[in-house]
Amino acid sequence: MRLGYVIGRVTLSQQDPALKGGRFLLVQPFSRAQFAGAAMTPLAKGNSLVVYDNLGAGVGHIIGFTEGAEATAPFAQPTPVDAYNTAMVDEIFFKPPSA
Amino acid sequence: MITARVDGVIVSTVCHPSMVGHRMIICQPLDPEGREEGEPILALDPYAAGQHQRVLISTDGSHTREHVKDSKSPLRNIILGIIDDDDLEAGH
Repeated sequence: MRLGYVIGRVTLSQQDPALKGGRFLLVQPFSRAQFAGAAMTPLAKGNSLVVYDNLGAGVGHIIGFTEGAEATAPFAQPTPVDAYNTAMVDEIFFKPPSA
Repeated sequence: MITARVDGVIVSTVCHPSMVGHRMIICQPLDPEGREEGEPILALDPYAAGQHQRVLISTDGSHTREHVKDSKSPLRNIILGIIDDDDLEAGH
């Protein structure tokens, strides 16, 4: 699981029926700087991705998302999903050792 | 399995039901020499690892699903143990 910042939403008019009931978020994964509290502008390096969401996260929220095979685990039928919103994050305590 | 250093913890109220009641920590993966490698990841922490302790993480979701007793859990990374000491012999 990784942390990411919701930077946008994706809306579909035609969609696979298996995806019904969810929404799609455009998410920018955190780099080390963001964990330590750096602002999200300019955006962190690394590619943004689309995350399936049924918790109700919105733009500006921080979420924890799962990628890979586990992203499809919560679905009853095989579902073509690459990333799944597992948690909406309230607080982050991050303190790496000072080198 | 990878080694990592515990760098923090997150708090979440709205989350997948399988995550409720479990501690989720921020881990910095380390290379064999103990240097930071890649971006931090999140892992379930059944052993209550302390800040800056080194831990062994499993990235196998099936063990995690078993641990949280939910066959439909999207969680993957889980702490398997806390590392006391490891040896890297010179030349390997």
